[in-house]
Amino acid sequence: MRLMFINGSPRGTKSNTDRLMEHFIRGFLETEGNACRTEYLVKYRQNLQTLTEKFSAAENVIIGFPLYIDAMPGSVKEFLEVLAPFEGKINLPALGFVIQCGFPETSHTRFAARYCEKFSRRIGCRFLGAILKGGCEGLDIQPNFLTDKYFSLFNMIGVSFGKTGKFDEELLTKLARPEHLSAQNMAQIIPYINQALWDARMEKNGVLDRSFDRPFTS
Amino acid sequence: MNVLVLNGNPFNDKGNIDQYLGILVEELKSAGHNTTVIVLRDLKISPCTGCFNCWLKTPGTCTIRDDARDVTRQYIAAEHVIFASPLIMGFPSALLKNAMDRNISIMHPHLEEVDGEVHHKKRYDRYPVISYLLEKESCTDEEDIAILTDIFRREAINVRSSLGFVHFTESPVEEIVHAINVH
Ligand SMILES: Cc1cc2nc3c(=O)[nH]c(=O)nc-3n(C[C@H](O)[C@H](O)[C@H](O)COP(=O)(O)O)c2cc1C
Repeated sequence: MRLMFINGSPRGTKSNTDRLMEHFIRGFLETEGNACRTEYLVKYRQNLQTLTEKFSAAENVIIGFPLYIDAMPGSVKEFLEVLAPFEGKINLPALGFVIQCGFPETSHTRFAARYCEKFSRRIGCRFLGAILKGGCEGLDIQPNFLTDKYFSLFNMIGVSFGKTGKFDEELLTKLARPEHLSAQNMAQIIPYINQALWDARMEKNGVLDRSFDRPFTS
Repeated sequence: MNVLVLNGNPFNDKGNIDQYLGILVEELKSAGHNTTVIVLRDLKISPCTGCFNCWLKTPGTCTIRDDARDVTRQYIAAEHVIFASPLIMGFPSALLKNAMDRNISIMHPHLEEVDGEVHHKKRYDRYPVISYLLEKESCTDEEDIAILTDIFRREAINVRSSLGFVHFTESPVEEIVHAINVH
């Protein structure tokens, strides 16, 4: 099976999308004869046409992106727009998505995923499904037992996709946990994230005392 | 009321939505609203790079120097913002989405619970109501509208605002003016 992975993160090679998908791809390549190519959307911004040609020639495509305000980043939407001429063409690739986000609950990504499924139908690509995961900002500061779990599930989803051409529903459900958080979970997690992910970095930059600045108050 | 219209139509050949907005803006002004229109395609707004400098280095200001800063300033000054765009592949334009992405400096990085979900804290005391005025594609169906409305409702919560209306250019202009008046 041949796969083209389009990494739609504006952070390119230094993205959470990449760190997670690295494990998927390694799993995918375990099946003999499989091949995968990664393309970084940020490198094509001035030349989206080239990427659309690669898209239309591919057998399977997975587009990965971070959730930006409950949807795809504007730069990913630019790419979806230039795919319009392929609408209804024959021999389009099968199309899957990876959507990961910063908030800890995976439920945030489900709405953009519905759009992605409809997009696949609109353009006429067989829909492979969507790999969804919340809690992906600050992978570096999260405890290893958590990130190891994400990485190993991405790997297993890749292995199984490499063998069957499908995303394993059971693994997707496991990866998506927590789908929602209880009030109690939130009360535990939020102060930790605020401190470790944000305050620590603002402090390092010397702006912690200015964090609530309102430059546009009239 | 201070109304800001962000025209996210990327096409220079005008088209329906620009004509519609022309009439709408006149009607809003004669109804006494202080109305500003920003035509996004005439500005330079590059996509968000995900650097978070607007939270971690210069709190509240994006460090990319282009026209997005002025959009953010006008957004915060408005009481009602209308995001206007044709649907393109079932979603508002990339032009509009890039402007929205570049606006996250209006939020604070800290998380808090909002209606049973994790979201960001407010940076400002108040935010405008946000509404959508869209032009349908020939293939737009009920399912598209349901998907979009759910996403818009969530976006409004996420930027600590509320969703005013989602209307299409097939509605009479008076309906939009009325919807603004009652908000
Ligand atoms: C402009 C912007 C908007 C964002 N909006 C959301 C959001 O609505 N919900 C969410 O959970 N995370 C949101 N995030 C966080 C990203 O989804 C998260 O940081 C992600 O892991 C980044 O992935 P990447 O490194 O692959 O780009 C946003 C980040 C940025 C920069």
